[in-house]
Amino acid sequence: MREVLALAGVTFSIFSRTTLAVVGPSGSGKSTLASCLACLEPVSSGKIWFAQTEVTAMDAGQQCAIRPSIQMVFQDPASSLNPRMSALELVSEPLKIQDRFDKRERSDRAYDLLERVGLPREKAAQRPDEFSGGQRQRIAIARALVLEPKLVILDEALSALDCSVQAQVANLLMDLQASLGLTYLFITHDLAMAAHLADEIAVMERGRIVETGAARSVVDSPQHAVTRRLLLAAPGVRNSALEPQAV
Amino acid sequence: MQRRQIVRWLLVLGALHAMVACAGFFAPYDPVEQDREHPYLPPMKVHVVDERGHLHLQPFFYAARVRQGSFDQFDEDTGQAFALRFFVTGAKYRLLGFLPCRVHLFGTEGARLYLLGSDGFGRDQFSRILYGGQVSLLSGLLGAGFTLFMGAIIGTVAGFYGGWRDVLLMRLAELFLALPWLYLLFALRAFLPLAVSPLKAFLLVIVVLATVGWARPARLVRGVVLSAKERDFVRAARGFGASNAYLLRRHIVPETSSVLLTQAAILIPQFVLAEMTLSFLGLGIPEPAPSWGNLLASLQQYSVLVSYWWMYLPAVAIVPFFVGYQGLANTLNLDVAADKIEGKRGAPS
Amino acid sequence: MNYFLRRLLQGALLLIGVSFLTFLFSTLAPGNYLDEMRLNPQISSATLAALRSQYQLDRPLPIRYARWMNSIAHGELGYSFAYNSPVAPLVWVRARNTLLLTTTATLLVWGLALPLGIWSAERRGRLSDRALSSATAGLLVIPDLVLGLGLLILTARSGWFPTGGLVSVGFENLSPIRKLSDLVMHMALPVTALVLSALPILIRHIRAAMAEVLDASYLRAAAAHGIAHRKLLYGYALRAAANPLIALFGFSVGTLLSGSLLVEIIMSWPGIGPLLLEAILARDLYVVIGGVLFSTVFLVAGNFLADVLLYWADPRIRTMAGAR
Repeated sequence: MREVLALAGVTFSIFSRTTLAVVGPSGSGKSTLASCLACLEPVSSGKIWFAQTEVTAMDAGQQCAIRPSIQMVFQDPASSLNPRMSALELVSEPLKIQDRFDKRERSDRAYDLLERVGLPREKAAQRPDEFSGGQRQRIAIARALVLEPKLVILDEALSALDCSVQAQVANLLMDLQASLGLTYLFITHDLAMAAHLADEIAVMERGRIVETGAARSVVDSPQHAVTRRLLLAAPGVRNSALEPQAV
Repeated sequence: MQRRQIVRWLLVLGALHAMVACAGFFAPYDPVEQDREHPYLPPMKVHVVDERGHLHLQPFFYAARVRQGSFDQFDEDTGQAFALRFFVTGAKYRLLGFLPCRVHLFGTEGARLYLLGSDGFGRDQFSRILYGGQVSLLSGLLGAGFTLFMGAIIGTVAGFYGGWRDVLLMRLAELFLALPWLYLLFALRAFLPLAVSPLKAFLLVIVVLATVGWARPARLVRGVVLSAKERDFVRAARGFGASNAYLLRRHIVPETSSVLLTQAAILIPQFVLAEMTLSFLGLGIPEPAPSWGNLLASLQQYSVLVSYWWMYLPAVAIVPFFVGYQGLANTLNLDVAADKIEGKRGAPS
Repeated sequence: MNYFLRRLLQGALLLIGVSFLTFLFSTLAPGNYLDEMRLNPQISSATLAALRSQYQLDRPLPIRYARWMNSIAHGELGYSFAYNSPVAPLVWVRARNTLLLTTTATLLVWGLALPLGIWSAERRGRLSDRALSSATAGLLVIPDLVLGLGLLILTARSGWFPTGGLVSVGFENLSPIRKLSDLVMHMALPVTALVLSALPILIRHIRAAMAEVLDASYLRAAAAHGIAHRKLLYGYALRAAANPLIALFGFSVGTLLSGSLLVEIIMSWPGIGPLLLEAILARDLYVVIGGVLFSTVFLVAGNFLADVLLYWADPRIRTMAGAR
């Protein structure tokens, strides 16, 4: 099997308590980037720094200690939530794995977070198939927050939701960021959403970052052809510089 | 909806198994008790109306008497009627294998009622079929249990760890699957000691069955584990710092339950049949312990085959079990398919 | 051509694997095999000594296996103690009868299952399809042991067909036509048992494979183009379903071989089955190994035939094979 180089020459930084959106067409390597940063995929070359320590230089045990600080919300809640577990069990699972607190405290924290994301206590005993798509994603978000991470990677976390639900969940994410002081790495192919949520945008194509900058400036004056293509595909983005270009 | 069907099939199977498990209660006589005066008796009839047309509340039967001029044709001796009593105290037995009991569903005094005829030694076939079922069914259940256990472990190791373990185990499985299973069964049985006690033979049969049958469940479990390993909820759990042991225990192994259940419904009847085949050929449970297989062994003699049709009845005994298990397996398959479709949809927002 | 070489190689590996497995099982026999034979008065001590030295029973396993493989390469499969003759010709005579039975049964069962499966797939959902489904379900719950014994009893009591043996006494004196009919009469019972036990599951699988293809959109597109129904069914649908069906064929060879083992024993057909059973009961080691090996050869041959059919039927495989 040939090895595929998914990422080559990707260099960027995220500042704490901000949101960086990584945008790109499918196949650009965004999800691989997310997996690498979440320590779910091994990195063949390059370095990752987190809170002044080099993650890639750590051994397995030290990496384990880092994990709670970097959490991920996946695209499809139908597959990222074990259908056999109740919402309560799902949200308290990370605490159980990390062996924090006793059972009572774990449940309390789980109920707490579920309420924060807008799911009432009574529903905590239900299984994922009894919730709607948007509600399931809220459970996934609550679960990602229970270990009190500093960085949350949202891998196409809104892409599988209906338009109206997207807006609700996006607002929830913004609220949580403000109240909990979170840093977001937001992966998406939707430039409009990125513009709405992010402080900075990095555009990727085929494993490379081709353009970065503050969100507003990337959207207003796109430099790269890929960025322009993504803009054309994004509905509802007001851009004065938008005119048909030879693609 | 499928759940109700599954429950219905389980109830049917449960009832059938219960009847066999309580063989001591349902069987009027001891299965090894011989009566050399009455070999190869055809099934006897139970009457409620006597010759003169009178209705009796207590069912009765007539003893068998050899017909004049023949030595193996029997008639009913209407001179004397024997009563059929219910809930009688009879020979001691152990209910479900451990509770000492003496009550039988029905019994007779003075003469024996051969409901399904007698064999060459005058043993009651009805009792032998019930007790024989215990041996055959237990072999099938235990054999299938071991096979599934072995297959589940091998499949999980191959699917989860991959690499050389996976290649080696799956090549081995292919080898076992490629062979005609009965030949493999024979070959394996051939090299184990032949003349052993019934208990040892029983254990031997189970081991042999388990060794032959692990390959298909292992392959199926491996498939499930492979796909479960890549599921997002497993990756998420890894992200929380879960160990391999936790992932296997909490997330991956539960996914294999439906495939294992369906395989159980398919394998159990096959293994019961395999034990029957082995015992029929003299390679399984030996006399005098009854098993459905060795009850049929006398049919290998041409004279028995032609003249004594009731000796075939132990073969028919397995058919209701096949019906039950196949019905269960079909419903389980449908259930698995339905689950897959339902899992995609959820409640409306 | 590489495709066939690869398949042959896989078959050869299977044979080696099986031979090793059987050999391995044979070493499980507790105690030395020859010890048991020593108790048999028919075998002289000189024979025992000769056998011991010939088969090197005191050497470690890999060496024994290598020597045994070597003798196989020379066409010797060992010696039968019960029959007092070399194993190979003994097994070969029986193998021919098994081959006759299994081949006839395979042809017959496919000859029945294919049209029935296609026919019911064509009419899927309708009354005729459901009737056939019920019939196959009914047959499925009767296991082959029960079926075989039942047929045997029926035949024995009615006397319609002979209940055992390959041919009648005095076969040599019959005219060719009568010889053939005598053989057919003797074959009728075992073939019927084999066919009835394999038929229901085969019909089900064929029906499923055809139904899946018939429901596919490319077939509906072809129908919309106005292609005649018959051509659609056989020219398009059957060819598309050929892959799983041919795989099924390979699988059915294995199933029929297993089935024939039991049927031969029950119906006294002089094939490998009864030989194998006798050998097991008589502890005739090399006959058992020889029998198992022959059955594996049949299996490999059947699967190879399936591969040839697949090559002929599926242009994708031809292209793949040619491209290498």
